Amino acid sequence: MSLLRVEKICKSFKTLRVLNNVSLDVQPGERHVIIGPNGAGKTSLFNAITNQFSIDSGKIFLEEREINKLSSHHLVHLGMSRTFQKNNLFGNLTTEENIHLALIAKKGYRFNVFSPLVKRSDIRQETEEILQQWNLTDRRQMKVKNLSYGEQRLLEVLLALASKPKILLLDEPTSGMSPAETQQTSEIIQKLPRSISLLVIEHDMEVVFAIADRITVLHHGEVILSGSPEEVRNNEMVKEIYFGGGAKLHA
Amino acid sequence: MPLMLSDFGMNLVTEIFIMAIFAMSLGLIMGYAGMVSLGHAGFFGIGAYLVAILGQHIGNTYLLLFFSIVVSGIIALITGAVFFRTSKFYFLMITLAFGQLVYALFWQMKPLTGGADGMSVSAILNFGFGDLFSPLSIYYVMGVAFIIAYILLRFFVESPAGKITKGIMENESRMQALGFNVRIYKLMVYALSGSMAGLSGALYSYFNLYVSPDLSGWLFSGQVMMMVIIGGVGTLFGPAIGAGVFIFLQNFMSSYTERWPMIMGMLLVILVMAGKGGIIHWLQHIQKAVFSRKKITQDTNNQLKEEEATS
Amino acid sequence: MSIFFVQLLTGIAYGMLYFMIAAGLTIILGVMNVVNLAHGTLFMLGAYIAFSFISNELNFWLALLLSVFCTAICGVILEKLLIKYVYGKELEQVLLTFGISFILADTVEWIWGTEMKTLPVPGLLDGSISFGDTAFPIYRLFVVLFGCLLALLLWYLETRTRIGAIIRAGVDDREMVGALGIHVGFVFTGVFAFGAALAGLSGVLGGPLIGMYTGMDSEILVTSLIVVVIGGLGSWKGSLIGAVFIGIIETLGKVWFPSLSMLIVFLLMMVVLIIRPNGLLGREVA
Repeated sequence: MSLLRVEKICKSFKTLRVLNNVSLDVQPGERHVIIGPNGAGKTSLFNAITNQFSIDSGKIFLEEREINKLSSHHLVHLGMSRTFQKNNLFGNLTTEENIHLALIAKKGYRFNVFSPLVKRSDIRQETEEILQQWNLTDRRQMKVKNLSYGEQRLLEVLLALASKPKILLLDEPTSGMSPAETQQTSEIIQKLPRSISLLVIEHDMEVVFAIADRITVLHHGEVILSGSPEEVRNNEMVKEIYFGGGAKLHA
Repeated sequence: MPLMLSDFGMNLVTEIFIMAIFAMSLGLIMGYAGMVSLGHAGFFGIGAYLVAILGQHIGNTYLLLFFSIVVSGIIALITGAVFFRTSKFYFLMITLAFGQLVYALFWQMKPLTGGADGMSVSAILNFGFGDLFSPLSIYYVMGVAFIIAYILLRFFVESPAGKITKGIMENESRMQALGFNVRIYKLMVYALSGSMAGLSGALYSYFNLYVSPDLSGWLFSGQVMMMVIIGGVGTLFGPAIGAGVFIFLQNFMSSYTERWPMIMGMLLVILVMAGKGGIIHWLQHIQKAVFSRKKITQDTNNQLKEEEATS
Repeated sequence: MSIFFVQLLTGIAYGMLYFMIAAGLTIILGVMNVVNLAHGTLFMLGAYIAFSFISNELNFWLALLLSVFCTAICGVILEKLLIKYVYGKELEQVLLTFGISFILADTVEWIWGTEMKTLPVPGLLDGSISFGDTAFPIYRLFVVLFGCLLALLLWYLETRTRIGAIIRAGVDDREMVGALGIHVGFVFTGVFAFGAALAGLSGVLGGPLIGMYTGMDSEILVTSLIVVVIGGLGSWKGSLIGAVFIGIIETLGKVWFPSLSMLIVFLLMMVVLIIRPNGLLGREVA
C-alpha cells in the first residue's frame, strides 16, 4: 500500500497546461525526489497535492483515502506537511513563537479562548526540545526575519516537521544555499527517521543522488521517467533535457 | 475618584468608558487579526437601537444586553462569512457599505426607529438591585463593564485561539499550511469584535437615553478608527487610551467651533502624514531609547573591563 | 408596459451615472492600487462648484468644463501634497482619504450651507420624449449617451494607446519604468487627476438628476464602492455592467420596496460575492 498516490492528475491555467496526466507514488519510508528543469511544473505538483488549487481531473490518495476534495489545512491532520521554496515564515515573530504556532496546530486546545498559551507546559517542553536538538536555543528570542538565511531555511523545515507528519513534502530545501549549507541540509534530510516519508523537489544533483530511493523526472508538466537513481542517471531522454545530450549526470 | 469630578466630568468619563469598549473591539480586529473595518459603527448602532426598540417592551436589563451581544455577534458571523471570501481591499469597502446600510435602514424605517429624528430610550439599568439612573451609578456600571471587557479581551489574546489569530494576521498562507482552519478563527474574532461593539452601543443607549441613525454613520466609524490609531494599533489597551484622548479633544473642540468634522479630518491627515504609531508606541519608543542607552553604557563598560584585563 | 420600460430606462440612466463615478474610482484603484475614499466628496465638490458658476449666470456647459477643471486641479494638489506619500500602504491610504473627505465635505457645508440644492437642466436638453402615454426626460437620455461615450473613450485608451500599459508597468516596477525615461510621478499625478475629474464631471451631470445635499458624498461613495466590488477591481467594463445593473435594481426597488432599496442592492452584492469573490470581471488583487 502506497502512502501517497497521485493518479493521472491534470491542471490547466486558462490555456497553459501545467500538469498533464501526472502519476507517481510514494511508499512508506521512501525518499522520492522530483527533478526537472525550471517551469516543469514541480511546485505546481506540490500545490495540487496539498489542495492549494483544485485539479481538473485525476485523483490523489493519502493512505488509499481520496483527498482531492479536502481543504488544505485538513491534510495536515491526515499526516501530510510541506515546506515552501521561498521561505514562508512568520518574520515578525520570534523563533520560539514560530515553533509554538507550528506545534499548536494539532493540539486539542487550539480553539481554547480562555487559558493563556504560555502556561501550557507541553508546548514549552516540546519547543525546548526542538530548539536544543537543532542548536537554536540562542536564537529563540530573535525575530525570524533577522536569522541567517540558512537558519531560516532550517526553521522552514522544522515548522513542517512539528506536526509529526507521515509524509513531508520538501520544496527545494537547498535553494539559495552555499555549498557548506547545502551539505548540512543534505545530512539533515538523510538523518530524518524513516517513519517519515519524503517527497522532495531538488535541483542540486549531488543532493538528489545522496538521498533518493527513487527519482521522478518532470518536464513540461509530464512525467518523463520514474525509477531508480541508476535508471535515471543512464537515461538518454533525461540527459537530453538537462544537457542537450552527450553529457553525463554524475553523482 | 468620582468625587473629584463634577457631574459634567463624570458624564465625560462615563462616555469614555463606553467608547473605550467600542474602540477596543475595533482594535482587536485591526491589531490582532489585521482586518480594517470601516463600518464598525454598524454594530454599535444595532446594539443601541436594540435596547431602544426592545426596551419599550422588555424591562429586563440582562435580556436586553444579552440580545444586543448575541444579535450583533450573529450579524458579524453572517456578514463575515461572506466578506472574508474576498481580498482585504474588498473587505474594506464592503464593511463601509455595511455600515452605511445599517445607517440607511435606521433612517428609512421611520415607524420603527423614528427615522432621522432618532428615538428616545426608556430602558433603565436594573441588575436586580433596583433601578439605576443617577449619573454616579451609571458611571460605576460602565466602569465595571469596561474592566470586564478588557479582561475578556486580555484572556482571548493570550489564549491559544488568540495567538493563532495573530499568526493568521502575520502569515495566513503558512497558517493554513500548518493545519489551521483559518476561516473559523477569522469568524471567531470578527464575531467577538462585533458583539462587543454591539454591547457598547447597548450601554450607550442606557447612558445617553437617545439614539439616532448617526450612531451607525460614516463619521462615527471614522471616529472610532481614529481612537484606535491615536492609541496605537496592535495593543489591547491603546485604543482605550485613544478613546479617552479623542473624547476630551472632541468636547474641547466642540465648545469652540461647529466645524468638528473638518478638524477631525485634519487630525487624521496629520496623524497619517506624521507617521503612524499612536501614543503607546511613542511611549514604547521612549522606553526603548532610555533602556538602550543604559545597555550601551553597560556594554561599553564591559568591553573596557575586558580590554583592561587582557592588556 | 410602457411604465415598466420608462422605469427601466430611468434605471439605466442612473446606472450610467454610477458608472461614471465608479469608473474614476476603479481606475485609480485598479491601476494605482490606491483606495480613494474622498472620491464621493470630489463628486459633491464638482456639483457645488458648478452650482456657484450657474448661480452667477454662467452657461451650464461652461460651468461643467470649469467645474471639471477645478476638481482635476484639486486632484493634482491632493496627489502631489498627500497621496503620493502613501503608495503601497493601504491603511494609511484609507485614513488619509477618509480625513480628506471629512475636510472637503465640511468645507462644502461651510461655504454652501446645508439646504438642498439642485442644478437646473441645461436649456438644450430640457423637455421630454413621449413613449406611449408616458414622457421621458431628454436629459436622462443624454446621461445614458454620455456614459456610452465614456465607455468608448476608456476602451480606446486601454487598447489603442500605450498609457494603460505604462501605468500598469509603473505600478509593478516604478524604477524600471523610470529608467525607461518615463516620468512615473507625472503619470501617477495625471491618472489621479483624471479620476478626480471624472468624479467632478459626474457630480455636475448628476446634479439635475439626484440633487445636492449634505451626506450625498458618503451615499454616492458607497454606491460606487458596491459597483466596483460587484464589477471587479480594476475592471471598468465590470463597473459598467455592475453600475447599470445596480441602477436598474435600485430604481425598480424604489418603486416596489421604497424603504428597502438599499438593502436589496446590498444583498445583491453579497450574492455576487458568494458566487464570484473577485467580482464579475475582477482579477485577484495583491
